[in-house]
Amino acid sequence: MMQCGWPLLGPLQWIRYVNRQVMVKAGNDEEHRGWLLTVDPVSASLVLVTFREEGRASVQVVMGHAVEEVQVLQEADEETTRRLQTSFLPARTCGLDPEELRRRRAGVQRWLEKNRVPVEEEGDQLRVAGVLTLAAPYGPEDCCSSNQIILDRIQKLIQSLVQSPYYPD
Amino acid sequence: MLLAGETLNMATPVSVLRLPKGPDPNSRGFDPKSPRFIALCRTSIPTSAASEADPEQLQQEQHARSVLRESFLRCLLSMNSKKVQFHMHEKVKLEATFGASDIDVLNFQVSDLHTPIGVQKEALIRCQDVISFTFDV
Repeated sequence: MMQCGWPLLGPLQWIRYVNRQVMVKAGNDEEHRGWLLTVDPVSASLVLVTFREEGRASVQVVMGHAVEEVQVLQEADEETTRRLQTSFLPARTCGLDPEELRRRRAGVQRWLEKNRVPVEEEGDQLRVAGVLTLAAPYGPEDCCSSNQIILDRIQKLIQSLVQSPYYPD
Repeated sequence: MLLAGETLNMATPVSVLRLPKGPDPNSRGFDPKSPRFIALCRTSIPTSAASEADPEQLQQEQHARSVLRESFLRCLLSMNSKKVQFHMHEKVKLEATFGASDIDVLNFQVSDLHTPIGVQKEALIRCQDVISFTFDV
Protein backbone atom coordinates (compact mmCIF):
# COMPACT_ATOMS: atom_id res chain seq x y z
CA MET A 1 0.00 0.00 0.00
CA MET A 2 1.38 3.34 -1.06
CA GLN A 3 1.86 5.57 1.92
CA CYS A 4 1.69 9.27 1.48
CA GLY A 5 3.77 11.65 3.54
CA TRP A 6 1.08 12.40 6.15
CA PRO A 7 2.65 10.39 9.03
CA LEU A 8 5.97 12.11 8.38
CA LEU A 9 4.76 15.70 8.61
CA GLY A 10 5.20 16.00 12.36
CA PRO A 11 3.35 17.81 15.16
CA LEU A 12 4.16 21.34 14.01
CA GLN A 13 2.50 20.68 10.65
CA TRP A 14 -0.36 18.58 11.96
CA ILE A 15 -1.40 21.17 14.49
CA ARG A 16 -1.96 23.64 11.66
CA TYR A 17 -4.78 21.45 10.36
CA VAL A 18 -6.65 21.51 13.69
CA ASN A 19 -9.95 23.42 13.75
CA ARG A 20 -10.23 23.21 9.98
CA GLN A 21 -12.71 21.32 7.91
CA VAL A 22 -10.77 18.69 5.99
CA MET A 23 -11.37 16.04 3.40
CA VAL A 24 -9.41 12.84 3.96
CA LYS A 25 -8.94 10.05 1.44
CA ALA A 26 -8.04 6.75 3.08
CA GLY A 27 -7.65 3.09 2.25
CA ASN A 28 -8.45 2.60 -1.40
CA ASP A 29 -11.80 4.25 -1.64
CA GLU A 30 -12.81 5.91 1.61
CA GLU A 31 -13.42 9.60 1.74
CA HIS A 32 -14.23 11.43 4.95
CA ARG A 33 -15.07 15.00 5.66
CA GLY A 34 -15.26 16.71 8.99
CA TRP A 35 -13.83 19.23 11.41
CA LEU A 36 -10.37 18.16 12.47
CA LEU A 37 -10.24 17.90 16.24
CA THR A 38 -6.72 16.51 16.56
CA VAL A 39 -4.02 14.35 15.02
CA ASP A 40 -2.52 11.69 17.24
CA PRO A 41 1.25 12.30 17.21
CA VAL A 42 1.94 8.62 17.88
CA SER A 43 -0.11 7.11 15.05
CA ALA A 44 -0.78 10.19 12.87
CA SER A 45 -4.50 9.32 13.05
CA LEU A 46 -6.96 12.10 12.31
CA VAL A 47 -10.01 12.71 14.47
CA LEU A 48 -12.86 14.26 12.47
CA VAL A 49 -16.06 15.59 14.01
CA THR A 50 -19.38 16.06 12.22
CA PHE A 51 -22.00 17.95 14.20
CA ARG A 52 -25.52 16.62 14.24
CA GLU A 53 -28.72 18.11 15.59
CA GLU A 54 -29.42 18.58 19.31
CA GLY A 55 -25.81 18.89 20.40
CA ARG A 56 -24.89 15.41 19.18
CA ALA A 57 -21.95 14.65 16.92
CA SER A 58 -20.44 11.77 15.07
CA VAL A 59 -16.72 11.20 15.15
CA GLN A 60 -14.60 9.48 12.54
CA VAL A 61 -11.02 8.49 13.27
CA VAL A 62 -8.89 7.79 10.22
CA MET A 63 -5.81 5.72 11.00
CA GLY A 64 -2.55 7.47 10.08
CA HIS A 65 -1.18 4.47 8.19
CA ALA A 66 -4.20 4.47 5.84
CA VAL A 67 -4.21 8.15 4.92
CA GLU A 68 -3.79 8.83 1.21
CA GLU A 69 -4.61 12.50 0.99
CA VAL A 70 -5.64 15.37 3.25
CA GLN A 71 -7.16 18.56 1.91
CA VAL A 72 -8.21 21.64 3.86
CA LEU A 73 -11.69 22.83 2.90
CA GLN A 74 -12.30 25.73 5.25
CA GLU A 75 -11.42 27.33 8.56
CA ALA A 76 -13.72 27.02 11.55
CA ASP A 77 -15.46 30.11 12.88
CA GLU A 78 -15.37 30.92 16.59
CA GLU A 79 -18.56 29.04 17.42
CA THR A 80 -17.41 25.85 15.71
CA THR A 81 -13.97 26.07 17.32
CA ARG A 82 -15.59 26.45 20.71
CA ARG A 83 -17.86 23.45 20.07
CA LEU A 84 -14.90 21.37 18.93
CA GLN A 85 -12.73 22.20 21.90
CA THR A 86 -15.42 21.40 24.44
CA SER A 87 -16.70 18.20 22.84
CA PHE A 88 -14.39 15.85 24.71
CA LEU A 89 -13.85 17.47 28.04
CA PRO A 90 -14.65 15.08 30.87
CA ALA A 91 -18.39 14.56 30.63
CA ARG A 92 -18.87 13.50 34.21
CA THR A 93 -19.08 16.56 36.38
CA CYS A 94 -19.27 15.79 40.03
CA GLY A 95 -22.76 16.76 41.12
CA LEU A 96 -22.15 16.45 44.83
CA ASP A 97 -21.58 19.31 47.26
CA PRO A 98 -18.29 19.52 49.19
CA GLU A 99 -19.79 18.29 52.47
CA GLU A 100 -21.27 15.20 50.84
CA LEU A 101 -17.96 14.58 49.06
CA ARG A 102 -16.07 14.86 52.33
CA ARG A 103 -18.43 12.35 53.95
CA ARG A 104 -18.08 9.98 51.06
CA ARG A 105 -14.30 10.28 51.03
CA ALA A 106 -14.17 9.57 54.76
CA GLY A 107 -16.44 6.57 54.31
CA VAL A 108 -14.26 5.11 51.57
CA GLN A 109 -11.13 5.77 53.60
CA ARG A 110 -12.62 3.98 56.62
CA TRP A 111 -13.62 1.04 54.43
CA LEU A 112 -10.12 0.74 52.96
CA GLU A 113 -8.52 0.96 56.39
CA LYS A 114 -10.92 -1.68 57.67
CA ASN A 115 -9.63 -3.90 54.88
CA ARG A 116 -6.05 -3.21 55.97
CA VAL A 117 -5.25 -1.11 52.92
CA PRO A 118 -2.86 1.80 53.58
CA VAL A 119 -4.56 5.03 52.58
CA GLU A 120 -3.81 8.70 53.04
CA GLU A 121 -5.71 11.86 52.29
CA GLU A 122 -4.07 14.05 49.68
CA GLY A 123 -6.13 17.19 49.16
CA ASP A 124 -9.52 15.96 48.00
CA GLN A 125 -8.05 12.75 46.73
CA LEU A 126 -7.11 9.55 48.49
CA ARG A 127 -3.69 8.05 47.92
CA VAL A 128 -3.83 4.29 48.28
CA ALA A 129 -0.74 2.19 48.98
CA GLY A 130 1.35 4.95 47.43
CA VAL A 131 0.44 3.78 43.92
CA LEU A 132 -3.22 4.51 43.36
CA THR A 133 -5.14 7.77 43.39
CA LEU A 134 -8.84 7.98 44.11
CA ALA A 135 -10.59 11.17 43.07
CA ALA A 136 -14.13 12.42 43.68
CA PRO A 137 -16.72 10.96 43.75
CA TYR A 138 -14.62 8.00 44.95
CA GLY A 139 -16.32 5.29 42.96
CA PRO A 140 -14.60 2.30 41.32
CA GLU A 141 -14.34 4.28 38.08
CA ASP A 142 -12.42 7.05 39.81
CA CYS A 143 -9.39 4.91 40.63
CA CYS A 144 -6.19 5.77 38.83
CA SER A 145 -3.02 3.68 38.97
CA SER A 146 -0.27 2.28 36.80
CA ASN A 147 -0.26 -0.95 38.80
CA GLN A 148 -2.89 -3.20 37.24
CA ILE A 149 -3.06 -5.66 40.10
CA ILE A 150 -3.62 -3.06 42.77
CA LEU A 151 -6.05 -1.19 40.52
CA ASP A 152 -8.12 -4.32 40.10
CA ARG A 153 -8.09 -5.15 43.83
CA ILE A 154 -9.03 -1.67 44.98
CA GLN A 155 -11.73 -1.31 42.33
CA LYS A 156 -13.30 -4.55 43.52
CA LEU A 157 -13.07 -3.42 47.14
CA ILE A 158 -14.76 -0.14 46.41
CA GLN A 159 -17.34 -1.89 44.25
CA SER A 160 -18.25 -4.07 47.22
CA LEU A 161 -18.63 -0.97 49.36
CA VAL A 162 -20.78 0.81 46.80
CA GLN A 163 -23.05 -2.19 46.52
CA SER A 164 -23.39 -2.76 50.24
CA PRO A 165 -26.62 -1.66 51.98
CA TYR A 166 -24.57 0.56 54.30
CA TYR A 167 -23.25 2.88 51.61
CA PRO A 168 -24.50 6.43 52.19
CA ASP A 169 -26.03 7.94 49.10
CA MET B 1 -45.14 -22.22 2.71
CA LEU B 2 -41.91 -22.27 0.72
CA LEU B 3 -42.13 -22.91 -3.00
CA ALA B 4 -39.35 -24.74 -4.83
CA GLY B 5 -36.43 -22.43 -5.43
CA GLU B 6 -37.27 -20.02 -2.56
CA THR B 7 -34.93 -19.71 0.37
CA LEU B 8 -35.76 -18.57 3.86
CA ASN B 9 -33.47 -15.81 5.03
CA MET B 10 -32.95 -15.82 8.74
CA ALA B 11 -30.23 -14.17 10.72
CA THR B 12 -29.03 -16.92 13.00
CA PRO B 13 -26.60 -15.99 15.71
CA VAL B 14 -23.57 -18.20 15.27
CA SER B 15 -20.99 -18.82 17.92
CA VAL B 16 -17.51 -18.14 16.67
CA LEU B 17 -15.72 -21.23 15.41
CA ARG B 18 -12.84 -22.46 17.50
CA LEU B 19 -10.11 -22.98 14.94
CA PRO B 20 -7.32 -25.42 15.72
CA LYS B 21 -4.66 -23.83 17.90
CA GLY B 22 -2.36 -21.94 15.60
CA PRO B 23 1.25 -20.98 16.04
CA ASP B 24 2.30 -19.09 19.15
CA PRO B 25 -0.06 -16.08 19.29
CA ASN B 26 2.81 -13.70 19.76
CA SER B 27 4.19 -14.42 16.35
CA ARG B 28 1.05 -13.39 14.44
CA GLY B 29 2.16 -9.83 14.17
CA PHE B 30 1.78 -8.93 17.83
CA ASP B 31 5.32 -9.90 18.90
CA PRO B 32 7.47 -6.75 18.93
CA LYS B 33 10.49 -8.74 17.75
CA SER B 34 8.82 -10.35 14.74
CA PRO B 35 9.83 -9.05 11.31
CA ARG B 36 6.18 -8.32 10.52
CA PHE B 37 5.80 -6.11 13.56
CA ILE B 38 9.02 -4.25 12.88
CA ALA B 39 8.06 -3.68 9.26
CA LEU B 40 4.46 -2.57 9.85
CA CYS B 41 4.27 -1.18 13.32
CA ARG B 42 6.54 1.69 14.01
CA THR B 43 5.85 2.35 17.65
CA SER B 44 6.29 6.05 17.56
CA ILE B 45 7.05 8.89 15.26
CA PRO B 46 10.38 10.47 16.23
CA THR B 47 11.10 14.19 16.46
CA SER B 48 11.85 15.83 13.16
CA ALA B 49 15.44 16.38 12.09
CA ALA B 50 14.97 20.15 12.01
CA SER B 51 13.86 20.14 15.63
CA GLU B 52 16.88 18.18 16.71
CA ALA B 53 19.07 21.02 15.51
CA ASP B 54 17.06 23.91 16.96
CA PRO B 55 16.12 23.76 20.67
CA GLU B 56 13.41 26.39 20.37
CA GLN B 57 11.73 24.55 17.58
CA LEU B 58 12.09 21.35 19.55
CA GLN B 59 10.22 22.93 22.44
CA GLN B 60 7.46 24.11 20.12
CA GLU B 61 7.27 20.70 18.55
CA GLN B 62 7.01 19.00 21.92
CA HIS B 63 4.30 21.42 23.02
CA ALA B 64 2.32 20.73 19.85
CA ARG B 65 2.88 17.02 20.36
CA SER B 66 1.47 17.09 23.89
CA VAL B 67 -1.55 19.22 22.95
CA LEU B 68 -2.40 16.89 20.08
CA ARG B 69 -1.86 13.76 22.14
CA GLU B 70 -3.94 14.97 25.09
CA SER B 71 -6.80 15.75 22.76
CA PHE B 72 -6.51 12.31 21.20
CA LEU B 73 -6.42 10.58 24.59
CA ARG B 74 -9.59 12.41 25.65
CA CYS B 75 -11.20 11.18 22.47
CA LEU B 76 -10.20 7.59 23.30
CA LEU B 77 -11.51 8.00 26.83
CA SER B 78 -14.85 9.19 25.55
CA MET B 79 -15.13 6.04 23.43
CA ASN B 80 -15.00 3.71 26.40
CA SER B 81 -18.02 1.38 26.43
CA LYS B 82 -19.46 2.99 23.32
CA LYS B 83 -20.50 1.17 20.16
CA VAL B 84 -17.93 1.73 17.45
CA GLN B 85 -18.00 0.73 13.81
CA PHE B 86 -14.63 -0.27 12.34
CA HIS B 87 -13.94 -0.03 8.62
CA MET B 88 -11.36 -2.64 7.73
CA HIS B 89 -9.69 -3.55 4.46
CA GLU B 90 -11.78 -5.10 1.67
CA LYS B 91 -14.80 -3.01 2.73
CA VAL B 92 -15.36 -5.15 5.82
CA LYS B 93 -17.31 -3.33 8.53
CA LEU B 94 -17.23 -4.56 12.11
CA GLU B 95 -19.26 -3.30 15.01
CA ALA B 96 -18.03 -3.63 18.59
CA THR B 97 -18.05 -2.00 22.00
CA PHE B 98 -14.82 -0.12 22.51
CA GLY B 99 -12.69 -1.01 25.52
CA ALA B 100 -9.22 0.46 25.30
CA SER B 101 -6.22 1.18 23.13
CA ASP B 102 -2.59 0.40 23.86
CA ILE B 103 -0.13 3.27 24.21
CA ASP B 104 1.21 3.05 20.65
CA VAL B 105 -2.25 2.74 19.10
CA LEU B 106 -1.35 -0.64 17.69
CA ASN B 107 -4.18 -2.70 19.18
CA PHE B 108 -7.70 -1.97 20.32
CA GLN B 109 -9.42 -4.05 22.96
CA VAL B 110 -13.11 -4.48 22.21
CA SER B 111 -16.11 -6.52 23.42
CA ASP B 112 -19.06 -7.96 21.52
CA LEU B 113 -17.32 -7.86 18.20
CA HIS B 114 -19.80 -8.60 15.40
CA THR B 115 -17.88 -10.45 12.71
CA PRO B 116 -19.23 -12.04 9.51
CA ILE B 117 -19.02 -15.42 11.26
CA GLY B 118 -20.50 -14.50 14.60
CA VAL B 119 -20.17 -12.42 17.74
CA GLN B 120 -16.86 -12.58 19.61
CA LYS B 121 -17.26 -11.66 23.28
CA GLU B 122 -13.77 -10.18 23.68
CA ALA B 123 -11.23 -9.41 20.99
CA LEU B 124 -8.10 -7.50 20.10
CA ILE B 125 -8.18 -5.62 16.84
CA ARG B 126 -4.89 -4.82 15.13
CA CYS B 127 -4.84 -1.15 14.19
CA GLN B 128 -2.88 -1.94 11.03
CA ASP B 129 -6.01 -3.73 9.81
CA VAL B 130 -8.27 -0.75 10.48
CA ILE B 131 -8.70 2.03 7.93
CA SER B 132 -11.08 4.15 9.97
CA PHE B 133 -13.68 3.85 12.69
CA THR B 134 -16.64 5.89 13.75
CA PHE B 135 -18.83 6.48 16.80
CA ASP B 136 -21.39 8.95 18.09
CA VAL B 137 -21.11 11.33 21.02
